[in-house]
Amino acid sequence: MINNVCVVLLMAVVALMGCSGEPLKADTQKKQSGKTVTSQTIVALGDSLTAGFGVDLSESYPALLEEALQKNGYTYTVVNAGVSGETSSGTLARVEWILAQNPAVVIVETGANDGLRGIPVQLIEENLREIIALLQENNVEVLLVGMKMVMNLGPVYVSQFNELYPRLAKEMDIEFMPFFLEDVATKPQLNIDDGIHPNSAGYRVIVENMYPYVLNVIDSVNS
Amino acid sequence: MNFRFIISEISHSRGQSWIFVVCVALSLISLVAINSFRRDVNESLLSDARKLHGGDVIVHSHQPFSPTLKSELVSLETEADISVARTWEFYSVARSIGQERTVLANIKAVEDLYPLYGSIVLRSGNNFQDVLESGSAIVAPSLLARLDVAVGEQIHIGSTQFTIMDVIEGESQRPVNFFDFGPRVFVSSSDLKAMDLIHPGSRVHFEALVKVGDSVTADTIAGQLEQQAEFGRERVATYASAPSRIKRFFDNLLFFLSLISVFTMLLAGVGMQSSLAALLRHKEKTLAIIRALGASGPFLIYHYLVLVLVLSFFGCGLGLLGAYVLEQNFTVVFAGLLPDNIQLGLSAVDVVEGVLLGLCVVAFFSFFPIRSVASVRPVAVLRNEVASEQSRTTYIFFICGIVMFTGLIIRQLNDVKIGLYFVGGTFLLIALISVLVSLSLFGIRRISRGGLALRQALRSMLRPGNAAKTITVTLSSALTLLLAIGLIQNDLRSTYISSYPEDAPNLFCIDIQKTQKDGFVELLREGGELFPVIRARLLAINDEKIQRKEELKKRGDSLAREFNLTYRDTLLDDEILEEGAFLLDSRDLAPGLVPVSLLDSVAEMGDMGLGDILTFNVQGLTVKAQVVSVRSRTKSMLYPFFYFVFSEKDLGAAPQTFFAALTVPMKDIGRVENMVVEKFPNISTINVAETAKELGRIMEKLSSVITFFSMFSIVAGLLILVSSILATRFSRIQEAVFYKILGANSIFVWKVFVMENLILAVVSGMCALIVAQVASWALCAFVFDIEHRAYFLFCFLLLLSSCCIVVATGVVSSLSIIRRKPGQFLQKKSVE
Repeated sequence: MINNVCVVLLMAVVALMGCSGEPLKADTQKKQSGKTVTSQTIVALGDSLTAGFGVDLSESYPALLEEALQKNGYTYTVVNAGVSGETSSGTLARVEWILAQNPAVVIVETGANDGLRGIPVQLIEENLREIIALLQENNVEVLLVGMKMVMNLGPVYVSQFNELYPRLAKEMDIEFMPFFLEDVATKPQLNIDDGIHPNSAGYRVIVENMYPYVLNVIDSVNS
Repeated sequence: MNFRFIISEISHSRGQSWIFVVCVALSLISLVAINSFRRDVNESLLSDARKLHGGDVIVHSHQPFSPTLKSELVSLETEADISVARTWEFYSVARSIGQERTVLANIKAVEDLYPLYGSIVLRSGNNFQDVLESGSAIVAPSLLARLDVAVGEQIHIGSTQFTIMDVIEGESQRPVNFFDFGPRVFVSSSDLKAMDLIHPGSRVHFEALVKVGDSVTADTIAGQLEQQAEFGRERVATYASAPSRIKRFFDNLLFFLSLISVFTMLLAGVGMQSSLAALLRHKEKTLAIIRALGASGPFLIYHYLVLVLVLSFFGCGLGLLGAYVLEQNFTVVFAGLLPDNIQLGLSAVDVVEGVLLGLCVVAFFSFFPIRSVASVRPVAVLRNEVASEQSRTTYIFFICGIVMFTGLIIRQLNDVKIGLYFVGGTFLLIALISVLVSLSLFGIRRISRGGLALRQALRSMLRPGNAAKTITVTLSSALTLLLAIGLIQNDLRSTYISSYPEDAPNLFCIDIQKTQKDGFVELLREGGELFPVIRARLLAINDEKIQRKEELKKRGDSLAREFNLTYRDTLLDDEILEEGAFLLDSRDLAPGLVPVSLLDSVAEMGDMGLGDILTFNVQGLTVKAQVVSVRSRTKSMLYPFFYFVFSEKDLGAAPQTFFAALTVPMKDIGRVENMVVEKFPNISTINVAETAKELGRIMEKLSSVITFFSMFSIVAGLLILVSSILATRFSRIQEAVFYKILGANSIFVWKVFVMENLILAVVSGMCALIVAQVASWALCAFVFDIEHRAYFLFCFLLLLSSCCIVVATGVVSSLSIIRRKPGQFLQKKSVE
């Protein structure tokens, strides 16, 4: 998919984006506790919930996760690869672009926009399965983040949608966080005015919830 | 007081007196008519705004209303002249029964009183409130096609079933919600419980619409509700303040009407000033003789003031009669141009206000001509010397006049700040006109070639006492106003009205994947355009980081958001290059940089320009691009546009989706949507046909208002222009007589007259063109916030017609003099 020009560009600029918008070097050497350790990349792949719609990039979950990991001695760089408004089909289309960044871990958070547009659940499931399979084929550890659909879509659609994530995680045998917005959804104080996107306090709760799952995946990488 | 003197003065200057009276009358007709029509149109537009938002007061929240707000609404409902209608709007999956087809539908549950304003037009022609009962649904036409159902059949929404009772043909609130992912379904609020879709964790827009009676204002009720609303979560607005995509259209249109009213007032003033100045210039020698016989300055001012007052009252009477006749025949004369819901009427308030405004204009614009009466120095006049005397009182009066003039402008514009800027700008532009006219006359003075007629025409213009500069400045000012009205009208029209052509896209398809592009094109034989979309963030401009926190605080668009980039190597049909020789030229770029083209609106947003280096983050990849061109758009609203355009070789490999803008016949939209989602279920369709139809209707109305007012103002302006030319011609007519005495034939005199008038028209026109372009650009940029274009063809045609009018009026007014024998004219002059 990536043509020669872009590969040259990619190598020439040697700058992969970081969550704060700073160009970052992959696999940079960092010194910590007197030892030289290799920094690895976690790519946060997702939609506006990952991109940090309505908040500053430094307050989005990838930035806060990187901060938490580095504070605890994990030399991981978390790349914010969130695209607002994206559906699972869009995410699938850019997996190869993401793989070019040599991630050790990819956190997959997608499907909410599909649900909000009433896209058939079967298609979302197929897309997610393909995304995970592509990542696994390239030896990338995957953390699948589950989503729950808003109740107004109707009981049939909502139950089909909500069931797909745990089923897929089990089927693909990957680490699974059941609900991205756990403890955050429906709480006005943790969301911006639109009621669906978290604010900076909301993202802190999300990172707190997600952290143990991320550590599990990192353990898998190290093992 | 010597009444005989006043009567004698009037009767000896019948021509100029008539012209002054006509100027006052025309001014009054325009002022009364424009102000009263403006008020009527204002009412009509506000009524549209009510229909658009559905209430006088609108309360909105993403969550159920707080208990305090809820109880405030309940208590308002109990008041006699207040009605409340609540609505719940959300998306849900609607299913057909049996076939199990599904569609994401935009459900709107409404209370019995809905709609409080506006209407929902049904296919059956029945009343919406009569049709919508518990268990029934009224649906958009595309839902029938998407679910393959018909009126009378049932659909499943949430935990209950609805019978489709009717089909929506039109909805007045539609333009407020521009993009919808699904067809509209109206249900009764009494079915909300049975649907069982609203719970914590549902995404619902809660709205309460309030209609207030005459005893209380919308602002008062909005204030009451705002006190009970939770800050930030519950929004309270009135129909006049509620944000909507077309609010700016309304605001701009209303300001345009105010502007027309001010311009008409200024035009009227210019007409009065020039006709009075001409009248007094004609009387200069008589005044000098009277002064020489012992009359004091105050005596003359006092008498001429009464003279002006008498003429003004005649003018007012004539003007009011004219305004009445016009108002009576208005709908006949301007049939088809006015909005259908406008209620025209000429009230006593309009008349009193018009007369007062007219007299104020007379007072301001007559001040200097009358003031000059006192400064007539007999010796200077009789020796043909140029006299100039500016006393302290002149300056005091001048300042008082400016204050009064500023007050008038503020009154007409209803805005102190803009009024002050406007007055400042007007004086600056008059100064600019004076400089330009002086430069032009200086240039004319240097012309020594050409035939005798041309040389005589030039000398005639520059002869001392001809007042060529004053006349040219006056004419230029009037033409500037006319051109500015025309230019702004064109700008408003191209920004708003022309944005809704009949062939504008009415169906958008988003999320088309790269692998689906060919299949999509093949499937849709209807045609349409496909645009690649690449999501990216702008990180820095010239290595200066975007201050995201600051940008997020901005209202409207900001540089902190994710942008849609695109790639292509050519301009779109509706784009023009503002800067740069080519759209994307990479020849002079440093290594590592790629070319990018900016849309002018984003260039303004970030103060970016040619040569600037922009750093983007394209989903992980940092791309540095140099701005090589700036584009502008000739259409807006319904046409897709992209702020940043790259070349395909630089961005073609980036992750992308495609966006399609299609124009599909209304009746086929449902079929096309079905076709697309059946083959490509990931593609979402956005049907804007109904919105476009409703917007088109409003735009058509705005168009008629703009056309009408511009036309009225331009016609009134041209009439005033003709009057002032006629007035000034009297003081210059004796030239013809002298030519004849010196042996010139009629053809030579004709030639001189045509050339003189032509030079006057061309010089005034060119100066007016420059100043009008500056003025309309300033108004578009700082007040209307729309794009300004030069419209050279329009300017050329308006100037050409103005030249023809000036020459024709000048020549026609001289006709009788040219034909008359010189002796007769001289005898008449010696009697005077």
